[in-house]
Amino acid sequence: MSDAPLLSLGESTAEAVERALQTAYPGAARVGAVVAGHGAEQAGEQAVHGLALPAVCAEVSYVDGVTGGNVFLLPVEGARRLAATMGAEGAAETAEGAELTELELSAVGEAMNQMMSAAALATSSVLGQEVEISPPQIRVVTTEAEAAEILRASAAPHVLTVSFTVADVSARLVQLVPNAFVVRMDRALEAQTTEYTNAPLGAALRAVPVRVWAELGRSRMPAGTSLDLPTGSVVELDREVEDPVDLYVDGLHFATGRLRVAEDGSLQLEVEQVLGLGGAATAVIAPELAEDIPQADPESPTETKEV
Amino acid sequence: MARVLVVDDAAFMRKMVSDVLLGGGHEVVGEAGDGVEAVARYQELRPEVTTLDITMPEKDGLSALREIIALDPAARVVMCSALGQESKVLESIKLGAKDFVVKPFQADRVLGAVEKALA
Repeated sequence: MSDAPLLSLGESTAEAVERALQTAYPGAARVGAVVAGHGAEQAGEQAVHGLALPAVCAEVSYVDGVTGGNVFLLPVEGARRLAATMGAEGAAETAEGAELTELELSAVGEAMNQMMSAAALATSSVLGQEVEISPPQIRVVTTEAEAAEILRASAAPHVLTVSFTVADVSARLVQLVPNAFVVRMDRALEAQTTEYTNAPLGAALRAVPVRVWAELGRSRMPAGTSLDLPTGSVVELDREVEDPVDLYVDGLHFATGRLRVAEDGSLQLEVEQVLGLGGAATAVIAPELAEDIPQADPESPTETKEV
Repeated sequence: MARVLVVDDAAFMRKMVSDVLLGGGHEVVGEAGDGVEAVARYQELRPEVTTLDITMPEKDGLSALREIIALDPAARVVMCSALGQESKVLESIKLGAKDFVVKPFQADRVLGAVEKALA
């Protein structure tokens, strides 16, 4: 199998981590390309080889039934300078070589948490579906063997490594990629039509990007049947031609409408009915969200905006 | 000025949020490091506003939010969580949160969210 989809995932994730890292430490930068290895057993050892130790290790795992996650390793001296930049008290007075204080470790852990969250979001964007992650495990590793063991334990089939510099210290991001992601990526890369853009600092709720999609219809079949579908087969959906199409906002059935073809041949959805969030919160939030949805022709008899 | 409960699994973030709130004239009446503790502290302290992280051990922020709203349907909760949990935004608001602050944040954004929750 080609490494191209794997490296594409690695690049997206590395870019997201770099942006998050630069927020915490403006001088931080990525160094070199993403390197792909296969098999956590051997690739894991290569991924941590030559890293200055001891290092703070932040590990997040995927929790949606696949094995893998992301690990960021930052040598203690870099972590200390990062903590000082973030405003962790006492960091500047701590002697080099001393252990990190609890507050320093917590500050670095939070920066890493934000980096790992950005990484998961980038991965979700490339895969076209949300990737759930566990809370980060923050620990200090003192030997290469100890760091390699963390990577080995994941048993991930693919290992992507990329280097960064943080406060003049070389750090490393290791992505432990499950096979399922590679399969999804092959499909998602072809279908991807939008690009995730990082939200600005302190962005308000309205600036948070959400995925929006239209659903034509559904069907159910045994997993084995779906895998054996030949080209040219027909899958019956649960809708008639004249039925409205459902609009989803971040997984929430938000509105229904009709498909239209624009002058340039692209598909559009004309919203007929806004369902909103439903429940008590609707009255507070839904009108704000609905404001951004372009309205159909006000003279159209089909428009029934109900929020 | 409001009595605020600050919930985050990172001690550093609890301190950051608390410093911002104190600087804005609010009173931090308590802190919690996970969802279980958050619900217990809410019940005990009945704060006017709660800032709540999402990704936490033991019980995540959404589960804690659900329980807090069940305890007190008028609870004013501001979610405060890292980028990458975009799908949690609508879910949080639907469950009854008043706002969603994305970390890393600026002080004004946190204070603004608290003010909005109090309004």
